[in-house]
Amino acid sequence: MAREISPGIHWLQELGPDQRDNFELRDEPPSWCTPGDTVHIPQCAYLLVGSDRTLLFDTLSPASTEKLKDEVSSILGDRSLDYVVVSHPDIPHAGNAIEMLREYPKAELVGPGYGNDHELYHLDDAMKVVEGDTIDLGDLAVEFHEAAFLDAPVFVWMTERTTETLFPVDWMGFPHLSEDELNFVDEAHHDVGVEQLLHFHARVLFWHKYVDVEKVQREIDNLIEKYNPSMIAPAHGLVIREDAVEYMEKMKDVVARIQQTGRLGIIG
Amino acid sequence: MTVNITDSVTWINESIAHSDFNEHVSVYLIEAETGYIVVDSGSVHHRRSISEQLQDATDDKGVDAIILSHSDYPHSGNISEFRDRWGDVELIASSGSPEIQGLQNATKCTIGGSMDVLGREFSFIDPPLADRSHTTWIYDHASRVLFTADGFGNYHQPEEEDYTSADFDNVTPFEEIYQYHRDNLVWLRYVDPGKLRDALDATLNQFEVSSVAPIHGNPIRGSDLDTYLDRLIRAADKITNEYVVA
Repeated sequence: MAREISPGIHWLQELGPDQRDNFELRDEPPSWCTPGDTVHIPQCAYLLVGSDRTLLFDTLSPASTEKLKDEVSSILGDRSLDYVVVSHPDIPHAGNAIEMLREYPKAELVGPGYGNDHELYHLDDAMKVVEGDTIDLGDLAVEFHEAAFLDAPVFVWMTERTTETLFPVDWMGFPHLSEDELNFVDEAHHDVGVEQLLHFHARVLFWHKYVDVEKVQREIDNLIEKYNPSMIAPAHGLVIREDAVEYMEKMKDVVARIQQTGRLGIIG
Repeated sequence: MTVNITDSVTWINESIAHSDFNEHVSVYLIEAETGYIVVDSGSVHHRRSISEQLQDATDDKGVDAIILSHSDYPHSGNISEFRDRWGDVELIASSGSPEIQGLQNATKCTIGGSMDVLGREFSFIDPPLADRSHTTWIYDHASRVLFTADGFGNYHQPEEEDYTSADFDNVTPFEEIYQYHRDNLVWLRYVDPGKLRDALDATLNQFEVSSVAPIHGNPIRGSDLDTYLDRLIRAADKITNEYVVA
């Protein structure tokens, strides 16, 4: 099941396993976690169907190969897939890239122009994109960006220009309940606040424990000024369509909190 | 090329070429009392070479277990090949969601814990210098070798391919440590070098280390570790100072 979050932009979500035990949420669940409900840090992919061209941004994990193929096929109908974009070659993001290229042999593989190990990730023949590069899909248009907060050097972020949607892979992820699958943040059963963002970043981007906090907070201010997004489409959370900048502001508190909590565990 | 690090630990080094330097993408073979263990499986890029070197180094017995630092492709690329070639190879991995990481039939190790593998004790360490969330550093109690990814690496010149830190004129050069970490652990552009140093010291003080065995660098002898560490922190300081946020 997928959801169209804006005309032509489809959100595909893989919930992944129940993470309550990893988060130690089972015994004393916080306010955002309903006892008995399962907690997930999903993988998200986005299928952009423009009037002229189509583009898949990330490919979910190898555990969802058939689900991805079925949902993409269902959305595309008679259309073809023109671009498969890999934000970074982490397996939960790139795990089905080869399979999708096999399924749509005319599609072009697009990968980050950053880093220097592309041959180790089967990305040496990809069309490489860097800051400011664009792909015109007709009534939609994407622009690529150097990622600010990342876990691997071969990495790229993206915006969709007509809707000012930011795709800040892996930044701004957070856990949510299974009942909120494919809900927008404003539809979720509990408010999404610093606590959920902390649970994600203190695990996945654990290196925040070792940073100069003020420097990271200045970087977040710069990102807000640069992108000023109307919508945020995270790789590991729910889509934010209201008050997107306020959620980016919350990340400044998250970085400060990680100095106090330290690393909370692992994900992945 | 195989290089003995201790009586029971052999470095099987492979590299990829960049424009003006090379980068190791290695595996390490451990001879345990009841079989052979490899730390990481290497890249598909080096599949045939690694497999053949392991075949020779084990006197055709093959590998019995793989301990994985993390699931990144250059580290996990040959797991299926090893299983096809040598049968029931046990996979030990720290991933909490192995199916999401494309890891089949993995035995979970816990970061912060220890485990007996083929009669040998290993501890799994929360790495201060890594990229993926589930990365673990691996300490082999018998040899006192600490296996690391992706931190503690360095680039090298082709003629330095088989060096350990003791083979350089004066331990692993600063520039090779700096360039490697600048390019591969990009988050260091935000690092507070003092926090990183404290964390590395705390980690290393827990274990008596005979050598550090990085997947992406030349092994560092224990006697050279202080020098390497000073250069690493100086590199982190340079990386963060070069990245200015207005």
